Amino acid sequence: MQNSTPPLFKQGIPALAKLVVCLLIGSALMVVDFQVKSLDFIRNQVSYVLRPLENIMLFPSDLFSFGEDYFTSRSSLEKENLSLKTRQTELSLLANQAALLAVENQNLRNLLELQKNTNFRTVPVEILFNPPNPISQRVVINRGSNHGLNLGSPIANDAGILGQVVRLFNNSAEVSLLEDWDFAVPVLVARNGLRAAVVGAGRGNLLQLRYLPVASDLEVGDILLSSGVDGIYPPGFAVAVITKIERNAEQNASNVFCSPIAEVNRHLQALALIYDPQWDAKPGSNSGVPSSTGRRQTRPKGQP
Amino acid sequence: MIDYQSGYILRPVKPSFIYISLVLALLLNFLPFGNHAWIPDWLIICIVFWNIHQHRYVGVVTAFLFGLIMDIHSGSLLGVHAFSYSLVSYLAIAWHTRITALSTFSQILNVFPIFLLVSLFPVLVNWALRDQIHWWGLTSVIQAMIEALLWPLATNVLLFPQRRPIDVDPNRPL
Repeated sequence: MQNSTPPLFKQGIPALAKLVVCLLIGSALMVVDFQVKSLDFIRNQVSYVLRPLENIMLFPSDLFSFGEDYFTSRSSLEKENLSLKTRQTELSLLANQAALLAVENQNLRNLLELQKNTNFRTVPVEILFNPPNPISQRVVINRGSNHGLNLGSPIANDAGILGQVVRLFNNSAEVSLLEDWDFAVPVLVARNGLRAAVVGAGRGNLLQLRYLPVASDLEVGDILLSSGVDGIYPPGFAVAVITKIERNAEQNASNVFCSPIAEVNRHLQALALIYDPQWDAKPGSNSGVPSSTGRRQTRPKGQP
Repeated sequence: MIDYQSGYILRPVKPSFIYISLVLALLLNFLPFGNHAWIPDWLIICIVFWNIHQHRYVGVVTAFLFGLIMDIHSGSLLGVHAFSYSLVSYLAIAWHTRITALSTFSQILNVFPIFLLVSLFPVLVNWALRDQIHWWGLTSVIQAMIEALLWPLATNVLLFPQRRPIDVDPNRPL
């Protein structure tokens, strides 16, 4: 014991050793999370502690928007009220007609023995914040698996599809936006029913419409609706609008760029669409054979 | 510890002040400013500052744990912030004797590469794993520059409790 170092020089484990251990753990976590994606239970547990803190830090921005609402002048409120009222009358008129058309459509489909149109449930969600991330554009919402959301549930607002749940916690979820890398939505062109897939090209880039020959009938300004062939997105929601077309005749390919219709930064409220194409699959026709993929044809047989 | 800028001997640091400042910096990171490239990472400024000035209290392991929290908050791959925070905190500890002796302007130039490494690390990891360079992610160089420019402010705020004079004599301030 006489030769032990005096306490003055005892500095514990050297920083380099700590660094090596930390870097090893860090890189192991990265590889496991990237390859296996099985670490979400850690995030779920930690989010029980983090979400209250994050909600506290939302308070200043809530206060700011509350103040903005509070000090809105009376005349602008009256104007907004008037326009909302006219809009509501228009919409209720349309809704009556839509209900009539839906019944008529359902009857015709029954007559023709086509599969029924699909239904979906909606869960109102609130967008809490966009986490800082230079790679991807995501938002965190305040509803999770306890409220019926599933991994992959689409999130939409009044304008159209915003994105999809990519990480599900018990009381919150992370939503990846349309422009995220490798984000694909099956769509059809509203004007002529042409089918394609819109693929995200990463943050800051336009969406791309892929797998289309050069002679496809597309124009700038065409609106793309979700086609519902994948069983994830309910059909008929606006997704994107075509903004640029580059036709390349030599390779028989066209580069079509589009931008999302629904903008996330302006709306704090959104809807989660809980949709399962198997819910109201027609009994009798293929009840014995469970369809494994969940894909189905939603359009009449006569059309291409 | 000597404050090289003023030449005075600093008062001893309170460990509670260090940990409170780290938690406050973490909470500042939770403010919902949106996903913009220019928003500084308050936490890494604070961690690097205490690494340089008080590496006995805030070391590599503290940086690693705070990095894990930031990973979960930002929804990035688990371990990205933990890796980069612990790496730069080692760099800061290795450079601390040099950086504290420099003038303010030179300190800014010296901490800039540290912040740049943290800001660009998610882009580098994405490049390594997916073989895709995210050009948009390179805008986080702006973040590193802003963080480096905030360094004098951080020095003034975080060293303020230690710079107070010990015996205050109202009649003879010096």
